[in-house]
Amino acid sequence: MEELFGVSMNTIAVVVVAITAVILALLAWVAFRNPVMFKTGLRNIPRRRAQTTLIIFGLMLATVIMTVAFGTGDTVSSTVTEDIYDLTGETDMLIVWDEEGSPRPEDERVIPLEEVAAWEQRFASDPDIDGFLPILLETLPVINTATGLNEAGATIVAYDTNAAAPFGSLRDLDGNVVTLSGNEIVVNEDLAGEIDAEVGQTLVLLLGGYPVEVVVAAIAPNSFLSGTFDIGATEHPGGTVSFDFLSEILELDGVAYAVVVTNAGGVRDGLDRSDVVEEKLNRVIDGTPYEVQPLKKDAIEIAKLFGSVFTTIFIIFGLFSIAAGILLIFLIFIMLAAERKPEMGMARAVGAKRRHLVESFLAEGMGYDLGAAIVGLVAGVFVTFGMVGLINAFAEAGLGLELRTNLTPRSLIIAFCLGVISTFIVIFFAAVRASRLNIVAAIRDLPEPIVTNPEAATWRGYARAVLNAAVGGGAIAVSVFALYRLPNDFVPLFVVALLLGLVGPYVRVLRQHNFGAPRHERIEGGGIPLWPFWLVPLIPFYLVALLIARIMRDRNPRVSLGLIVLGILLPPIGLLLVASQDRDRPIAWGAGFGVVGLALAALFMEWAFSSDSYFFFAGGVSLAFGWAAFTLRYFRAQERISFTVLAGLLLAFWYVAPAGTLDFIIGDLEGGPELFFLSGIVMVACGTFLIVYNADILLPPVATVGARLGRIVPAVKTAVAYPLTARMRTGMTIMMIGLITFSLVMFSTVNDNFTNIFLSDDAKGGFDTIVFVNSNNRTDDLVAALEESGVDTAPIVAVSEQRIAFAGETEIFVDAPSGPGVAGTFTVIGADAAFFATNEFELKRRAAGYGSDEEVWAAVANDPTLAVIPGELTDAAGAEFSEFALLILDPALVGEGFEPFTLHLHAPGTDLNTPVTVIGQVDDPGDIFWNGIIVQRDTVVAAFPDSDSQRFVIKTRDGTDQEAFAKSIESGLAQASAESFQKLLDDQRAASQGFLLLFQGFMGLGLIIGIAALGVIAFRAVVERRQQIGMLRAIGYQRSMVALSFIFESSFVALSGIVLGAVLGVSLSWVLFTSGGIGEASEGGSFIVPWLQLIVICGIAFGASMIMTWFPAQSASRVAVAEALRYE
Amino acid sequence: MAADGSAGDLVIDARDVTKTYDTGEVQVHALRGVDLQVPRGEMVAIMGPSGCGKTTLLNCLSGLDAFDDGLVLINGADISRMADNEKTEFRAQGMGFVFQTYNLLPVLSAVENVELPLIVSGTRPAEARELALAALDRVELKQYAGHRPAQLSGGQRQRVTVARAVVNNPAIVWADEPTGALDSTTAGGIMDLLVELNAGADQTQVIVTHAPEVAARCHRTIYMADGLIEREETLRPLAPAPA
Repeated sequence: MEELFGVSMNTIAVVVVAITAVILALLAWVAFRNPVMFKTGLRNIPRRRAQTTLIIFGLMLATVIMTVAFGTGDTVSSTVTEDIYDLTGETDMLIVWDEEGSPRPEDERVIPLEEVAAWEQRFASDPDIDGFLPILLETLPVINTATGLNEAGATIVAYDTNAAAPFGSLRDLDGNVVTLSGNEIVVNEDLAGEIDAEVGQTLVLLLGGYPVEVVVAAIAPNSFLSGTFDIGATEHPGGTVSFDFLSEILELDGVAYAVVVTNAGGVRDGLDRSDVVEEKLNRVIDGTPYEVQPLKKDAIEIAKLFGSVFTTIFIIFGLFSIAAGILLIFLIFIMLAAERKPEMGMARAVGAKRRHLVESFLAEGMGYDLGAAIVGLVAGVFVTFGMVGLINAFAEAGLGLELRTNLTPRSLIIAFCLGVISTFIVIFFAAVRASRLNIVAAIRDLPEPIVTNPEAATWRGYARAVLNAAVGGGAIAVSVFALYRLPNDFVPLFVVALLLGLVGPYVRVLRQHNFGAPRHERIEGGGIPLWPFWLVPLIPFYLVALLIARIMRDRNPRVSLGLIVLGILLPPIGLLLVASQDRDRPIAWGAGFGVVGLALAALFMEWAFSSDSYFFFAGGVSLAFGWAAFTLRYFRAQERISFTVLAGLLLAFWYVAPAGTLDFIIGDLEGGPELFFLSGIVMVACGTFLIVYNADILLPPVATVGARLGRIVPAVKTAVAYPLTARMRTGMTIMMIGLITFSLVMFSTVNDNFTNIFLSDDAKGGFDTIVFVNSNNRTDDLVAALEESGVDTAPIVAVSEQRIAFAGETEIFVDAPSGPGVAGTFTVIGADAAFFATNEFELKRRAAGYGSDEEVWAAVANDPTLAVIPGELTDAAGAEFSEFALLILDPALVGEGFEPFTLHLHAPGTDLNTPVTVIGQVDDPGDIFWNGIIVQRDTVVAAFPDSDSQRFVIKTRDGTDQEAFAKSIESGLAQASAESFQKLLDDQRAASQGFLLLFQGFMGLGLIIGIAALGVIAFRAVVERRQQIGMLRAIGYQRSMVALSFIFESSFVALSGIVLGAVLGVSLSWVLFTSGGIGEASEGGSFIVPWLQLIVICGIAFGASMIMTWFPAQSASRVAVAEALRYE
Repeated sequence: MAADGSAGDLVIDARDVTKTYDTGEVQVHALRGVDLQVPRGEMVAIMGPSGCGKTTLLNCLSGLDAFDDGLVLINGADISRMADNEKTEFRAQGMGFVFQTYNLLPVLSAVENVELPLIVSGTRPAEARELALAALDRVELKQYAGHRPAQLSGGQRQRVTVARAVVNNPAIVWADEPTGALDSTTAGGIMDLLVELNAGADQTQVIVTHAPEVAARCHRTIYMADGLIEREETLRPLAPAPA
C-alpha cells in the first residue's frame, strides 16, 4: 500500500516517526531534569495491577485498529501485486488496436506481422526492451472428449512458442520449456481442473459451431503465456496453441490481434522501465491506429489503489472505536488524577510546581502508552490474521483472489507511532487539567472550590474569554482554515493573523510564568522557560513573545469592554492586552473557544457551499450549536434546559437534514462515508447530554419500580444515585458504548435493508436460469440446440433470447425535454418478445400516458423505438467503480408520470445512431441481473452490429431443481455456461453477510473499549467508596447486595449507552433509507429492522459489560468491614 | 452483669476475646482475652491510649470484625457461630452505628441515608420514609431531610448519623469516636442526644472515645491498655430494670 487519503505512506511514516521521536525525547528530557517526579509517575504503574491491566487493555485499541487497517491494506495490496507478477511474468506492455481513436469493424482491428518485425528490428539493441511477441486471442468453448466435461469460455492465446524465450518461455508445471506445433495445446491449471484434462487427451475447440481437435501437450501454471488474461477473475480457464495453428483455423494471414512486449530486466524490475518503454513505443507507433498499454504497471497501480481503498474503509469504520478509545484515555486519566488528588496536593504543598505534576503524569501515562502500543501492535497482527481469514472465508469469490497475510514493517511502525501519538496528546491535556488543583482542597480530598470571577456572566468576561481563546490558539486554527478557504484577496490578512497567532500561545504561557509576572509577584533572578527552544522553527515567535511579555509585564492598563473587542479584532492589540492582564483572573475558556468554533463553523459553511460538501455543512451547524451551548452556560442559563433544548435541536437537525428536508435552502450537497462517522459522534454526544441532564427525572420512577422488588431495593437505590452524581464519568462511558453500538447497529440495519432491496427474489424478474453463450458459437434457438444435445427441455416454460451491448461498446446521448443532455456509456439489453410477455419486473416509474407496468412492457414489445431504463441510470452509485464514464441521468427526468424523453444509442466508430424513447424505469431489484437499457432485441442488433454477446433467460416449471437443470444445460451445450438465478442470489447474499460479519467484527473491537471503561470505573468506585461500602455492610447490607448495587450501577450506564446507540442507529437508518438519503434506490422503500442482529449486538455488549463489572463487584462485596470503616 | 450487679439482663456478654492482626512480618495482639458484660440500657464508654484495642473490641463485639478466640453473646446469641449473612441480618435488625467520619452516602439525601437500615431490613418504603423523618425530627433535622451530606455542617451530619443509628430502634448503638471530629459545643449536643436516646429507649450504647467529657456522660467507663481491660469505673448507677 503506497498511499493513504492521498498522502504517500513514506511521508506519513517519516512524519509519525519524527513526532514520536520528539515525544520520546521530551520524556527523556523530563526524566533527566526531574528524575524524582519521573520515578513517582512510573512507580504508580504497578500499584494496582488489575487497574493497570485494564488501562493497557483499553489504550491498546487505537494501535490494534491501526495495525488491522494497515495490515489488511498491505495484505490486499501485496496479494494482488504478487498475483499480477505471477500472471504477467515477463510481459510488461501490450500493443493493441486503438478502438476509440480508430474505430473499425472487429475483423479489421489487426496488426500486420511486418509491422511487428519492423519494431523488433528497430528495438533489437534497445537497452530497455527485450522483445516483442505477436499474439492471437479468442474465447472459445472447450470439450474434453475423454471426460465429456466442457468449459464454455476458455481464453485461447496463440503465439510462436519458439520466440517466447525473452518472455520466460511457455513452461509446464515442472518448469520444463514447452514448444508447440501442429494442433498441440497447452492448457493452464484452471482449464485442466475444469475439464479434467490430462496430457495426451484430445480436446475439441468450438469455433462458429465447428469442432477443431487439439491434443494436450502439457499442463502449465496460470499465466499470460498460458491464456490467463483476466486478472480480476477467480477462475482463469485458458490455453495456448501455436500461432500458425490458430491463424489457420481463424483464416488469418500474417496478422496479429495484439503484440506483447517485455522490458529489459526481470519480472519485477522490468516494471521500472515501463514509462521509458511506453514513451519509446509511442514515438514509433505515433500516427498508426495502435496504442500502447502499460499492462503490468496499470495492474500494479490498481493493486496498490485496491490496498489503499481497503485501508481507508477499515480506518473509517475504525474511527468510532478510535474516538471511543480517546474518550477512554481521557476518562482513565481524570480518574487517576482523582485518585492521586491528595498526593498531588501534598506534592504541591511541599513545593512541586504544576509542571512537575504534568511531568509526573506524563511519565506514568507514557508508561501505559508505550506498553499499550506494543501490546496493541502484537494483538493487531493477530487480529489481522483473523480478519484476512474471515475475508477469505466469506468474500473470496467477491474479491476474486485468496488473500495472503502480509504486514510491512513500515505499516507496523506507522500503526505503533500513531497509537503512541494519539494517546500522548490526550494524556497531555488530561495531565494539564489534573495539575490545576486547589492545594488545600486536594490535600483534604474535597471538591475543587469554585473560583469567584468578578466578570462571570458579563459581556466583558465573555469578550475576555474570546480574546484569550484567540490568543491561546484559536487564531491559529481560524487562520489556517481561512488561508485554505478564503479568496486570495484575504490571504495577507490571515497570514498576519496566523503569524500573530503563533506568538499568542507563548504570550499566555509567559504571563503565567515568573518571567511575565508583575514586579510585586516576580522572583528576581528567575529565568525564562527553556522548552520553547526545542521547537526550533517557532523560536522567532517565542522571541517576539518574550519581548512583548517583557514590555507589558509591569503595566496594568484599564481595559474597557471596547478595548477587549478591539483586541479581538486587531491581534497585535490583543497580544498586548493578554500580556498585561491580571494573572489570577479566571478565564471562561469554554465560552472563548465556543466562539472560535463559531468562526470555524462559518468557514465550514463557506467550504460546504463552494464544494457541495454535506460533511462541512453538517459539521459547521454542529459547531454552531456547540458555541450556543457554551455561551448559554457562560451566561448561566439553566443547564438542564439549555443543554436539553440544544441537544434536542441538533439531533433534530441530524434527522431532518440528511432526509433532504433542507435541500430547498441548501441545495443538493454531496456526502461520503465520513458523514457516517460525524453523524455518529454528534448524535451520540447529543443523546448522551439528553440522558445525563435528564436521568434524574427518569430514574426516580425506575427506583419506584425497584422499590417493589423487596430486598434488592437498597441496591437499586444506591445504584441509581451514584452515576448521576458523576455526570462526566457517566456521560463519557455512555458515549463510548453508545458510539460503538450506533456504528454496529447502523451498519447492520443499512446493510440488511439494501440486501433486502437488491437481493430479493424480485431480482430474478420471474426467470429461473440464465445461460451465456460463447460469442463465437451463438445459437438462434436454444431449446432446439438443447434437444439436439439430448437435454431434457420439459422443465422449460419460456425462453427469452437477449443480445447485449456492454458499457464501453456503446455511447449514449440524452435528448431531454430541457435540452441536449449528458453523454456516457451504458449497457444496452435487447430482449425478444418472450421477455416482454414473461417478465415480472415491477416498474419504479412510468411515463405519462401509461396506466400500468403491463402497458409499458407491451408498448416496448411492439415498438422498436421504445426503451425502459434501469434504476441505476439515475443513481450514481456504481459510476465511481466503473472503468468507463457511465451515463448518469438527472433523477428529475424520470419523476412520477415523467415526460418521455429520447436516448440516442450510438455505436462508437460508426455512423449508426438509433434514437429510442424512454417510457419507464425498472424498480431497483432489477439492477442485479438486468442493469441495462432494455429495448427490443433487433434494436440492439441494428444499433450495435459489433456487439455479439448473447444470453438466454429461462422460466422453468415449479419444482424444477434449478442447479441440476443449469448443469444439464452446461453438459449438453459446450458453448453455454448456465447458472440458476437462485444460486447467484444466494452467493451474493452469502458474500454480503460475510462482509457484514467482517466489518461488525472489526467495529466490535471498539466494544472492548466501552467495556474496559466500565471496568475501570467500577474498580475505581470500589476504591473510592471503600468506607461507604463498610458502612453499608455495618448497617445490614449483605455482600450480595453490595455486589448487586455495583452491577446495577454498571447496568444503568451500559444499558443507557446500548439503548442510545441502538435507537439512534435504527432511527437514523430509517430516516436515511426511506428518504433516499443514502441512494435513490431506497427512497420510499419498506424498511426492515434487523431485530435478531440488534438483539445479538446489544446482548453481547450488555453481557460483556456485566462480565467486566462482575470482578469489581465481587471485590466490593469482599471489602473487610472493620478495615474499611477505620481508614479513609 | 453490670459492674455493680444491680441492673437487669445482659445484652453483651464477651468472654476471653482475643484478636491478633498478622501482617505477615509482624503479629499485633490487639485483644488478649477481654471479658465484658453490658446489661440492657447501660451506656458504656471505652477509653484508652491509641492502639490499645478499643476500636478492635467494638468491631469484634458488633460483628463487624471476626475474632480469633473467645465467646461473644449478643442478647444471648453467639455471633461467632453466625455466618456472614446471618451476622449482617443480625446487625441490621438490632444494632446501630455512629462513626467519627459520619460515613453518610454522599449521593443520598439526609432522609434517604436515615431510611437505609429500615429498607435493608425489609420495611415498606413508605413506612421507612415516615420513620426516617421521625428520627430526623428527634435529632431536630427534619427541615434538612432533603439535603445531601455535603450541604450539612459537621454537627448536622453527625446528628443524621445518630438518626440513622437509632431509626430501627436497635437494642445496641455502637459509637466509635462520635464526637472526635466536632467542636466541644457540637460534641456536647451529640452527647445530649445519645444520653436522651439511651434514657428514653432503654438502649444499650457502647462508645469508644478519647474524650473524658464524653465518658463522663456514661454509666460506666472501661479503661483498656495493651489489648486488655485494665480497670473500670462506674460513674452513675444504671436504673434498675422494671420488674
